[in-house]
Amino acid sequence: MLTEAQIHLALVFLKMFLRDIQSMIFNLFFPMAFITVFIFTGGEPDPIKIGIVDKASNQLSKSFSLLLDEDTNFDVLEGLETELSNKLVEGELVAIIEIPDQFDYAYETAELKLILDASQVRQLDGIKDSIEKTLLSIERELRGTEAMFSLEIVDMKARPQRYIDFLIPGLLAFMLMNLSIAGSGFNLVEYRRRGILKRLFVTPIRPKDFIISIVLARLMIVLIQLSVVLWFALLILDIQLIGGLLSIYGMIALGSLIFLCFGFCFGSIAKTQEAIRPLVTSFTFPQLILSGVFFPISSLPEMIQPVAQFLPLSVIASSLRGIANDGLSLLSFDQNLIGVLVWLILSFFLATRYFVWRDVAG
Amino acid sequence: MTIIEVRDLKKAYFLPGKGKEKFNAVDGISFDILSREIYGILGPNGAGKTTTLEMLEGLKEIDDGTALIDGIDVSIDPYNVKKLIGVQLQSNEYFDKLNLSELLTLFSKLYSTNVDASKLLDQVDLLNKAQSKTQHLSGGQRQRFSIACALVNSPKILFLDEPTTGLDPQAKRNLWRLVKDLNSSGMTIVLTTHNMEEAEYLCDRIAIMDKGRLIAEDTPSALIEKYAPEPSDIPVTGNIEDVFLNLTGHSLRD
Repeated sequence: MLTEAQIHLALVFLKMFLRDIQSMIFNLFFPMAFITVFIFTGGEPDPIKIGIVDKASNQLSKSFSLLLDEDTNFDVLEGLETELSNKLVEGELVAIIEIPDQFDYAYETAELKLILDASQVRQLDGIKDSIEKTLLSIERELRGTEAMFSLEIVDMKARPQRYIDFLIPGLLAFMLMNLSIAGSGFNLVEYRRRGILKRLFVTPIRPKDFIISIVLARLMIVLIQLSVVLWFALLILDIQLIGGLLSIYGMIALGSLIFLCFGFCFGSIAKTQEAIRPLVTSFTFPQLILSGVFFPISSLPEMIQPVAQFLPLSVIASSLRGIANDGLSLLSFDQNLIGVLVWLILSFFLATRYFVWRDVAG
Repeated sequence: MTIIEVRDLKKAYFLPGKGKEKFNAVDGISFDILSREIYGILGPNGAGKTTTLEMLEGLKEIDDGTALIDGIDVSIDPYNVKKLIGVQLQSNEYFDKLNLSELLTLFSKLYSTNVDASKLLDQVDLLNKAQSKTQHLSGGQRQRFSIACALVNSPKILFLDEPTTGLDPQAKRNLWRLVKDLNSSGMTIVLTTHNMEEAEYLCDRIAIMDKGRLIAEDTPSALIEKYAPEPSDIPVTGNIEDVFLNLTGHSLRD
């Protein structure tokens, strides 16, 4: 049971946070700005800009260019080889297709040359595939033949998933990490440095009371701030939420507890604000990049993936995504949820191991 | 009646930058403090005054020896000692998003009591500052507020750690009057200071500490009689500062 002192102290922490308008705005600024930019850019992938050097310049090659241009995946620019090569080098074009002189029905196979700057093309295979597919369908159309097969891809989940649906759970996980660590780690260092902790421990409260109050207050703060983003995404952006809201909030609370524990560790190890900053950055920054917040872990180099998927932020982001996108609940024990529980136990152990109780006041 | 009984109190710290080497900040001191007296601990910087106080307040662990506060052993039951005492620390920073009234309410809740914040602020002449934040108070106001915070649990014993350091003469006199008032209402007061005038004016008895040891203890007048240099031909009477310098030497302390 909570004592009156614990509840009052928690409310005081909450009140102080709510009075700090500036930090509240800054905490929300990045995720909201990110989402807003995303809304304005529409989130659709840009068409691939492709140049065509038409050396044949006959009926057939012209139809080819026309059909390629009609494909929404491509943005076609016709021109001379030298002119287009320059654009390729400058990065304005992704690739150039060269239509040879002998591009005619008479020839069995005409070889189109695809020129590109491999260093600039990240998904070479993807581009090659989509060009080949387009060529194939153009060929059929020009020759007037019917395709022997066609492959219709039916999503078993039958839900269109947009990038924003992927992004929001990751963004929530990232926000809860920052808010939690700031609440326990940075506050602990600050209160100790200014002698406020010592003043609190003049009274008969125990370290446990202090910890419980901070945790309670921070959970409230995280829930309030993440709700702003979550409900904005739900109501304005109409993001997917297949699983229950209760599971989402439950996972947010579990995730916050993990990072609050880490924060207490860092706050105990680092004695000054100068020391805790790099310590926390070296913990959060790699996770920002490796934990699939902004792009899927599967797009990382394969060597890193096994490590990346077990990071605390990864398992929390993936769990939130599982609940939002795939309708999992807190009771469906998948690999990520188990990961969350393991990190919770581990971080709690580390926090109690490193939290220097006596030092709290000193 | 003895309210604080200290026997062979010791505290050692690691010497900074010297590995496992320790030095004794408090080196086996013993003294008794009587109920309702103002007891001053006098000493140069680094003498061990604050460490002694913080051990009695349950803020620092006692390495060796015993301290009984109103019959309770501090090292065994620090939480019950904390309920009996009021403490004004040397550094007096508070949450800067709360006003004075809210801070007093917070502290009283931490003792599981309810306090009339206005009454307490009135007692230390800060009623008109109830809605101010501590960072907007002057030095003297801040010290008075610190004392108000120390009074939320109506303590039997009040510990003041260098309460007038850095105050101007008016603020200092004002604080002395407050301390005297509290004492005459029945509160035992233990204070540290390196202000001789303060010790002489306020304290019923004075203990002089140096290098972790207690080197003299008595009433101000008895100490002057015992240790102040004989008046010379020029008609100068010794005071407690003479006693202090005579006992602790004249070299500068950090």
